[in-house]
Amino acid sequence: MARGILGAARQAGSVLVTLAGLLALTFFMGRMLPTDPVLAIIGQQADQAAYDMVHHQLGLDRPLPVQFALYVRAMLTGDFGDALFTGHRVAADLSRAFPATIELASLAILIGVGLGVPLGVLAAVYRGTLFDHATRVIGLVGYSSPTFWLGLMGLILFYSTLGWVGGPGRLDVGFIDSIEPHTGLLLVDALWDGDPDVFWNAVSHIVLPASILGYASMAYISRMTRSFMLEQLAQEYIVAARIKGMSRWAVIRRHAFRNILVQLVTVVALAYAFLLEGAVLTETVFAWPGFGRYLTAGLLAGDMNAVLACVLIVGVIFIGLNLLTDRLYRVLDPRTR
Amino acid sequence: MSPRLPLAILLLLLQAPASRAATPRDALVMAWNLDALITLDPAQIGEVNGNDIILGNVCTPLVNYDPQDISRIVPAAAESWSTSADGLTLTFKLRGDLKFPDGRAATAGDAAWSMQRAVLLGYGNSANLTQWGFTKDRIAEQIRATDDRTVVVTMDKPYPASLILSAAFASNVAVILDREAATKGAKVVDGKSDLGNAAFKTGPVCVGPYRVTRWDANDVVVLERNDGFFGQKPNMRRIIIRHVPESSAERLLLEKGDIDVARLLTTDDLKALEANKDVRIEQTVVQGMSYIAINTVDPILSNAKVREAFRYLIDYDGLARSILPYQGTPRASLIPEGAFGALDRAAGQPFKLDLDRAKQLLTEAGYPNGFTKKLILSANSISPNIAQHVASNAAKVGVTLELEQMADANLFTRGRNREFELQLVAWYAGYPDADANTFRHAVNPDKRPEAKLTMYPVWRTGWQDLSINEQAAAARMEPDPAKRAAMYREIQEFMMHNGPFVYIYQNIRPIAVRSAVKGFVISPFFVDYGSASK
Repeated sequence: MARGILGAARQAGSVLVTLAGLLALTFFMGRMLPTDPVLAIIGQQADQAAYDMVHHQLGLDRPLPVQFALYVRAMLTGDFGDALFTGHRVAADLSRAFPATIELASLAILIGVGLGVPLGVLAAVYRGTLFDHATRVIGLVGYSSPTFWLGLMGLILFYSTLGWVGGPGRLDVGFIDSIEPHTGLLLVDALWDGDPDVFWNAVSHIVLPASILGYASMAYISRMTRSFMLEQLAQEYIVAARIKGMSRWAVIRRHAFRNILVQLVTVVALAYAFLLEGAVLTETVFAWPGFGRYLTAGLLAGDMNAVLACVLIVGVIFIGLNLLTDRLYRVLDPRTR
Repeated sequence: MSPRLPLAILLLLLQAPASRAATPRDALVMAWNLDALITLDPAQIGEVNGNDIILGNVCTPLVNYDPQDISRIVPAAAESWSTSADGLTLTFKLRGDLKFPDGRAATAGDAAWSMQRAVLLGYGNSANLTQWGFTKDRIAEQIRATDDRTVVVTMDKPYPASLILSAAFASNVAVILDREAATKGAKVVDGKSDLGNAAFKTGPVCVGPYRVTRWDANDVVVLERNDGFFGQKPNMRRIIIRHVPESSAERLLLEKGDIDVARLLTTDDLKALEANKDVRIEQTVVQGMSYIAINTVDPILSNAKVREAFRYLIDYDGLARSILPYQGTPRASLIPEGAFGALDRAAGQPFKLDLDRAKQLLTEAGYPNGFTKKLILSANSISPNIAQHVASNAAKVGVTLELEQMADANLFTRGRNREFELQLVAWYAGYPDADANTFRHAVNPDKRPEAKLTMYPVWRTGWQDLSINEQAAAARMEPDPAKRAAMYREIQEFMMHNGPFVYIYQNIRPIAVRSAVKGFVISPFFVDYGSASK
């Protein structure tokens, strides 16, 4: 019991140190950027008095360590400050941008895993066949095609030409204001409010960007799955299991696939984490008001309030997913318990 | 969880999907890149998006530019004005039917307070008043309400009425904000009230045809019609501006009819839309100039012959055919066409590509073999194409221009800090009068670095000519319009050959509109959302 508490405390300490280090690094590196956040507020036509006033209001005339300490102190009370480049509270911005990305990333990873894992397994089982080659080519295309270009081509074909999906944005303009933002996840909020029109409209808008991101994830996941499976299928225990009379698919399902689960969880967690960081280019093409674009715009404007809050979230995502995968290892592999 | 819930969700999902892709009949839907939008407070706005949304659409100024002729001033919230015999007092008579969105009457007290507020807050826009002698210390006496409908403005000099009306009282600082709402929503910063800035940043309460009902950063801005507005009732009940930062996506939305207006399209997309009968393209020449700023603190670039040589490296005619369609019109004068006192089109662009002349000027300046300099520029829009054009011609006369692209925020920072040799950048005049650019691009009160006159692009270049300062000051105070215009013509001729700026083109604002949208008034200084109908 005591050992467990000690372990949890150690883990929490390590998480806090990591996050603090991440924040400090981002803060001090951000202050070295040649971008002046004051100009984002006052515009380039303002005089020096206006500049000095805002410079002071932002606390930029204080020593860097003091600025950092004040930021961290405010952050610990849940105050991320104002986003200079949007004029809103950072927390309010993120409460809109992050759910938009969670929704997109989650659907994308479902598509990526749902297609990538079976394709990878089958490609390994049918190694060297036409199916294997086709899977690898599809994967290679998905892995190497710019998502920006894919997005644009997808919009031209499926939105503009065929009219199968909704256009850029999360909803048709006629649905703006038709839904109460309970969670910020439009699909969930539409179900919550019992509004099928909004739900299906949101589906029609998310399906294309999610598929394009999912395709890129699928390419990565299927390649890794194939590689893990090939390694397992070459093991002697597989041959032994077959000699014992187990069917081919039973061996694959019960032994080979089960043994790659630990590695696969790591791959999927990483792919999901990268999606949650936001896909800036996809978000740009699809006018998706997500986290990636928010972070990039904040960086370009030198808006450290917004950037630090985003970095903190990214840090928490990676650490959270790491902890989750650690737990999953224990479930999936008894040797790690 | 109730066992009925999954069933309810399933039934819900099985219902037929609906689409509301076409834009509503009573709403004007625009797509634009709203990345630069950081505030809706009229006293703070310093960029194009905010100005477009607020000026004239959410906040009506005391007077306005005539959309047909922007050098003419017409009544708006003020129904009339008069100037005292000594020219030092300007009196505005406000309309009697001014109302805030909630129906409460707006008074001259609100109008005077709004202008005082702009000066007291001290953001960039305050220069619209402070450059005419209004100061934080005296503003309460300088602009005051004498009754519910009268605003009296006391000036330190008898500025020509047409000039000061255009420069100060048709701008974002001369609007009527709700003092009561600002007081209620005020925050105290450093022991001082922010005069409602934090509240008005996301939703100003103003006298105007529309009010802001929603602004989700980087997503959407929604305006709703104010039915109590004094002027002509806007045709559209709602204005929806969606943030679509990619030109191709905007074009697809427009072609499909999911938006009515596209505000950010590249030349390629505009050309592609030309053949579309459902769309028309409106091009407005605005009061912005794109130019190369030359830092004359640099010993080589301080030579006037070197600067003159750069003017002959621009193929104005070639640019007009290749890069500038939908983006700009060639112009070499510091005063944009359309402004009072501007040179006409021919006189305002006398240069042409002449490499021999450029080479000769460089030789006379002592640099027959050229030199190497760095040109910094924005990575956006057509800046990279323009820079490559100049660099390619410069190379032909032995001048190597190293191009460095960067984000706009970096570009502006480098400019204000004088950290450049050559900078490709744009500047928008605050009002359609030669005075506007003359007092930023020609007049440099103090060229010393420690003067930090960063709002003067000419200070950033380190260039100064005291006789130009005097000429500009005299032109500003000249009451005779014909004489004043002649004085500005002289200044323009001089600056075109001696100044630190190589002007390349006057900016065009292209707007693609669905044919179903009628009567949309688009002027160089404001876009009247309420004029559009379907």
